[in-house]
Amino acid sequence: MIRYFLRDLFAQFRSGRSLFLLSLLGVALGVASVLSIQIINLNALGTFQGSVRAISGEADLSIVGRTPSLSEEIYPEVLSTEGVTVAWPLFRLEVALAEEENVLLDVLGFDLFAPLKLPWKSPPAELSAALGESGWIAVSPGFAGERGWEVGDRFEVFSGSRRVELRVGSLVDFKKAAPLASRKLAVMDIAQAQSLFGNVGAIHQIDLTVEEEPERVAAVLQERLGPSVRVLTSAQRENQATNLLSAFRLNLTALSLISLLVGAFLVFSSTQASLVRRRVGFGLLRSLGATRGQLFGLILAETGFLALLGVALGIPLGYVAAVSYVDQVSATLTNVYLLEEIESLVIPAWLFSLATLVGLSGAFLGAIFPAMDVSRKDTRALLAAFTLNERIGAAAHPLFFGGLMLLAGAGAIYGLSGEGWRPGGFVLALGLVLSIPLVAPLLVQQGARHIRGRGFGFAFGLRGLGQQLQTTPFAIAAVAVAVCMMVGVTVMVGSFRQTLEIMVDSTVRADIYIASKSWTRGRTEATLDPQLVLDLASHPGVRATDRLRQLFVYPLGYLDDHRISLAGVDMGLELSEARFSLLEGESQQAFREVREEGAVIISEPLSRKFGLVTGDRLALHTLGGEVEFPISAVYYDFSTEGGSAFMDLSTMEEHFGPGEVSNLALYLDPGIDTERAVDELMTRFSDRPLEIRSNRLLREEVFSIFDQTFAVTQLLQAMSLLIAVCGITLTLLVMARERVSELALYRALGAERRQIFRTYLGKGMGMAAYGLGLGGAGGVILAFILIFIINRTYFGWTIALHWPWASLAIEAAVILIASAVASIYPAWRAGRTPATELRREDI
Amino acid sequence: MKNDHPALVFEDVSKSYQQASGTVLHALQHVSIQVPAGKKVAIIGRSGSGKSTLLHLAAGIDVPTAGEVLFLGLNLAELSDRERTLTRRKNVGLVFQFFHLLPHLTVWENVVLPGWIAADSSNENDARARDLLGRVNLLDRARDPAQNLSGGEMQRVAICRALLRRPQLLLADEPTGNLDDENSFKVMELLVRLVEEEKSTLLYVTHSLELAALADETRRLHSGILE
Repeated sequence: MIRYFLRDLFAQFRSGRSLFLLSLLGVALGVASVLSIQIINLNALGTFQGSVRAISGEADLSIVGRTPSLSEEIYPEVLSTEGVTVAWPLFRLEVALAEEENVLLDVLGFDLFAPLKLPWKSPPAELSAALGESGWIAVSPGFAGERGWEVGDRFEVFSGSRRVELRVGSLVDFKKAAPLASRKLAVMDIAQAQSLFGNVGAIHQIDLTVEEEPERVAAVLQERLGPSVRVLTSAQRENQATNLLSAFRLNLTALSLISLLVGAFLVFSSTQASLVRRRVGFGLLRSLGATRGQLFGLILAETGFLALLGVALGIPLGYVAAVSYVDQVSATLTNVYLLEEIESLVIPAWLFSLATLVGLSGAFLGAIFPAMDVSRKDTRALLAAFTLNERIGAAAHPLFFGGLMLLAGAGAIYGLSGEGWRPGGFVLALGLVLSIPLVAPLLVQQGARHIRGRGFGFAFGLRGLGQQLQTTPFAIAAVAVAVCMMVGVTVMVGSFRQTLEIMVDSTVRADIYIASKSWTRGRTEATLDPQLVLDLASHPGVRATDRLRQLFVYPLGYLDDHRISLAGVDMGLELSEARFSLLEGESQQAFREVREEGAVIISEPLSRKFGLVTGDRLALHTLGGEVEFPISAVYYDFSTEGGSAFMDLSTMEEHFGPGEVSNLALYLDPGIDTERAVDELMTRFSDRPLEIRSNRLLREEVFSIFDQTFAVTQLLQAMSLLIAVCGITLTLLVMARERVSELALYRALGAERRQIFRTYLGKGMGMAAYGLGLGGAGGVILAFILIFIINRTYFGWTIALHWPWASLAIEAAVILIASAVASIYPAWRAGRTPATELRREDI
Repeated sequence: MKNDHPALVFEDVSKSYQQASGTVLHALQHVSIQVPAGKKVAIIGRSGSGKSTLLHLAAGIDVPTAGEVLFLGLNLAELSDRERTLTRRKNVGLVFQFFHLLPHLTVWENVVLPGWIAADSSNENDARARDLLGRVNLLDRARDPAQNLSGGEMQRVAICRALLRRPQLLLADEPTGNLDDENSFKVMELLVRLVEEEKSTLLYVTHSLELAALADETRRLHSGILE
């Protein structure tokens, strides 16, 4: 049988190269889509975890604050705790390079005698210099090399409005400690770091090793140090990014799996076509004594071979796709999640196994049903004329109702689980997507019956679709699934953008926005010194100034790992109410409570994730211990899915101590030209590390970040669509091969080649039109699921439904054009069928 | 087209095929025959004798390796593929052994299909289809799917389809080869009657002497040689 398999495989390839290559492409693109997203997901987490390992790789436990920094006073307490062997404090902040735009350095200040894994070249000499020389810092060779720096070179950085000169003291390859560690990591003595960056006495983390069970020591430390700190094990430390990115990763994975599903349809169609063509051969094998199992094994072995070739092609394609996504994903990680950017893509060995598994699963999913169908037939049936078309026609009604039942079942699961079970929305979406191929045969059959038209051309081709149910519904389903995803995501993204535009219009009212260059990720430490704030506020033409101070805190009593942004603003400002668009709460009363009663307003994601509503309390650890802040309103916020809260600046100062602001918004006197005022400010403060943006520029940047965030989605959509369009080519090629007698009849009756070309073009466009109709209807439902269920449960965002008609029309046109292009080759081949091919077979 | 020419002339026609093994198969060898307009000619031969090849050449579906096939005076080999297609569309009707009706079309649609292919969807065409179906007693089945008909009914529909465009030459390849004896004779009689009524020319191949007797002239084809 193995010999037969090899001979048959070769013969298969020779006789059906186009079909084989198209199904191979389907598997390869499906694998590439899934693999690329897994590479991206893995490296996004890996970069974060790599840096954690490089910094805290030796530590059994880490202590971090619920507020941005810890007091050095707890250090002796940690050291004196039973079970703690060594403990060392860490100081960490993001600084911006003075000489380059948008380049941040992750500075780590630590006790140079701490047992870190850093691979020093000559520790004693370097340690002595590190302690003694002002501004001494070790950077990675990669980072230094990119800038032509050598040991001894000096460079300037900004932390907020503070300018600090540093000196390259050593080159340390952090990737030797952890391969995925960021090349932007830099280390220096903790005392120097505290002093140079103006945070004497402040630390951000204490790492420690223990001599017994880390969990037990963690519990003791937590008890002893109280709720102001969080004691994390190494696993908890590394999982922080996993939790933070879970929804983002899940969404990309789900979208990539759609491509795999669409690819499985291609395998289904090609396997079916191949089996129908070879049915007599299988009948002969059975008559010669081959068992059903052997036949089934033979078909699956062929599929496995196809899948492995698809995997071999899909892996490099997946890597190329991942490389093309990486910039957009990195931008999202830094802008939306404030994490490290992905610097290099690493593919661990297990991802190859995953790719193989994905490719085999997709291919077997597509091949298993046709394989079972053929292997179950008795010899006589295989040698007789095949009636697959009739059987699918007869099964069209049961399949249709099966699809409706599946959708109803998914709806029931969602309805019963409610919003308490987050994956309920995905179950509903999955039910929808899977029901599409089930309802397709009946819709195609009925649709074709109702097409009336006289003539031999486009409409004639369309009518024939209902007659080729063994192949057409699956190609249509492939297009419909891809279209469903495209329409769903397009409506969701369009609605999101429109909602954001409305919100930005109503809340971004200041004329000029100012932050420091290191604010992008530095936030808490990226502050502006008070004199600078005064100078900016007193600039000629500035009517009012809105100040913002931002901290990151971990609320008490909820998810322990959940970090939120806490911002203080001047709620007494005349314009303050316009800064927020409220989801719940009465605005005048809400802002009065924030101003006068120390209340907070919270973002919608925070409200949804923690189940907090107006009237509840937000528990935070402050300098004075735990404080429960009353919640006076919930506001719309799309800037982060992590959640944020606002309080009055005075309340923040009272509970978190005095601090500098990080952002300013300037309101100009009427009649003053904003762009001109920006130019003036940039000229006047050219020596200060400020990002000064006009209202217009800020809006542009907001939408640029928005578009970047969804760029990967568009690439995934395009990949699914490409596979689906390949499905049209494949199906038409199958038809051109399997319907030779019919084509020859047309030629014998006097049909010209171009007429047959047109009928096949009609079939191709018809499949696309069916796919558009079915997928469009599914996409509208999917859009509702994405907007009103998945977005709310996973991201906590309320998006108002808007129909991006222009985008949808362009996409429909692209699909039709792509389908027409995809139909050209099979239509050309069909047109070349000679009338002499009229065989003694039934049509 | 000039009507004073014979409907079809084969002058020393040979047709051979290169087989995959490299050997040459001589399907027809030095065949010469004239089919005068308005006449019925039967070709008798066994399977593999070259009957279908002869009809393919007559219809302009294929071209000879040597010799000339003249259709109403036109040398088909000198025409392009498109010109041969258009000539066939306008002047030739074909009836096949296995009927070759399209199962997804109705009876009526199968009959008017040559009109659609010729981009002629006129009322005259529709009336002609109704007339032909009435003449073969199938008008009441016009709206039925073709796949619901019996074999004899299918071949009657196929004859109507072949006659729709009033062809000057009707070519029939074993038109009753897939029917039982009783139906065979009825269908063949019908075919001959309709050809006479239409004043068309008929060339048909059969292996039945009884059916061949309905023709004005009978020739025998044996291993590609016309006797």
